[in-house]
Amino acid sequence: MNRLGTFLVAAAAVFAVAVPFFLKPFGIYLISMWAVLTIAAIGLNLTLGYAGQVSMAQGAFVGIGAYTVALLTQADVPYAAAFVAAGLFCFAVGWVLGYPALRVQHHYLAFVTLAFNTLVFLVLRNEEWLTNGIYGINSIARPAFFGWSTGKALDFYFFCLGALTVLSLATWWILRSPWGRAFVALRENPVRALSLGLDTRRYTLIAFAIGSSLAGLAGALYAPLVQYIEPNSFGLGMSFNLLLMVIVGGSGYFFGPFLGALVAVLLPEWMRITEGYYLIVYAMFVMVMMAFCPSGLLGLVERALKAVGRRTPSPILRSEGVGQ
Amino acid sequence: MTPVLQVSNLRKSFGGITAVSDVSFEVRDGEILGIIGPNGSGKSTLFNCVLGQLTPSAGEVRVDGKPTTGMRPCDLNRLGVSRTFQLLQVFPQLSVRDNLILAGQEHQGSMYSRLIGAADAGLGAAADQMIEFFRLSHLSEEQAGMLSYGQQKLLDAAMAFMAGPRLVLLDEPAGGVNLTMLGHLRERLQAYHAERKATFVVIEHQMEFVMALCTRVLVLAEGRIIAEGAPQEIRRNPIVIEAYLGH
Repeated sequence: MNRLGTFLVAAAAVFAVAVPFFLKPFGIYLISMWAVLTIAAIGLNLTLGYAGQVSMAQGAFVGIGAYTVALLTQADVPYAAAFVAAGLFCFAVGWVLGYPALRVQHHYLAFVTLAFNTLVFLVLRNEEWLTNGIYGINSIARPAFFGWSTGKALDFYFFCLGALTVLSLATWWILRSPWGRAFVALRENPVRALSLGLDTRRYTLIAFAIGSSLAGLAGALYAPLVQYIEPNSFGLGMSFNLLLMVIVGGSGYFFGPFLGALVAVLLPEWMRITEGYYLIVYAMFVMVMMAFCPSGLLGLVERALKAVGRRTPSPILRSEGVGQ
Repeated sequence: MTPVLQVSNLRKSFGGITAVSDVSFEVRDGEILGIIGPNGSGKSTLFNCVLGQLTPSAGEVRVDGKPTTGMRPCDLNRLGVSRTFQLLQVFPQLSVRDNLILAGQEHQGSMYSRLIGAADAGLGAAADQMIEFFRLSHLSEEQAGMLSYGQQKLLDAAMAFMAGPRLVLLDEPAGGVNLTMLGHLRERLQAYHAERKATFVVIEHQMEFVMALCTRVLVLAEGRIIAEGAPQEIRRNPIVIEAYLGH
């Protein structure tokens, strides 16, 4: 990572630690939501942005993770164990969802995953014996670790920020390893990848499983953050929203989801002053963005840097910093 | 001595059309075998059957005596069979160096060690050597998609050699390459062959290229082998001339 990149990341980290001290509880709730959704978007960025596998089911995995944690903690399973279980369960389900991707690609795969999302939604809504149906699950407790209770908004935010840090470092490690290179190869030219000895089948399943397990872990944080979950939160709306975060931030850029989630969480709130019009303004923003910069905000940054004469980094290097 | 590649009675039909019928040949250790033939003679289909991209309708393929018919391309590659493609097949968004590391990484360690180990899978030095060998050093960190067509062809060939393969199948390496670059490519292939005692099979249209590079030539027409021999013999063979010029 070059100096500018290091500086920007360090400045963002300092900002993320300092900013909640200047915010009211609702503001802290919003940035906690940002941290949680960023984790899910990082997962989708790995599956879609790096490995090129379209998934419209990321919201369903957030739901599966959230319900896993809510049900397990209410059955007196310790939170830490429920958190791990949510990640593992989504890894397994994501692996299975990867199988259709071995047969269909692009928009066909989008439809398959879309159907899966609806399926999960219907299970959450109709299997009342397990999920309590449309009434949802109430009063989900926030965890405590070694005497540190995350019950207050500020404490819970730092818990989310900690989880985001650890999980994004883990993802960074995966993407810089030969696995990351294999994921990009899968996106760019699967036929050639196969002829170079890459077991494309296994890498596709792994990409789905890792992406889904990150969504599951985001769900495991989402449940205690909002403390009340119900099926509607995890319908297609959330999957579209997560997709939007990845695309707006910059699909295939490591820091894309951080930026995309920030836009998707904060912009609607800031635009509440426009009252009923904010969705229209927001939709316009997204359309203009997609028309003029399909590679997202970081794509725009990269174009600007190229214009001032810096060299383009490869996508592998991109995972190391915004300011390459 | 067991041949490196042994193809016996290979047949491939698409519906009612037989693209390759009853083809048998061997590739001996260290030779450069050329396969030539007019358009539509079944060269690429034959290649794809040998390499596992297509499943043959009948017949058998053996690599070093081991049956490999119907094996997946990635498993075949890990047995030491490598290939280049007729149309360009590099990874345009990856750097030249990353393209080469990618081409070798699956031959190193296990899935697990590729996750935990070094980012370059321990292939950084080997990739730099290969880049040097194909005289692409000045482009090492460039995105492969930014290279000229001829440079991408060189990279494509370099990628096929990255894992130190037992056998390399080159599908029209000369296609679309200008004469200067073609001479350079041929010279590099010959140098590699001499240095590493590698075994090549080359499908090609460009006769000059085949005659200069290959030690033995097979001629394919309408899915069958119609002639075989040293390049000079093939050039004078009346059957071959007829197949090329038409009836």
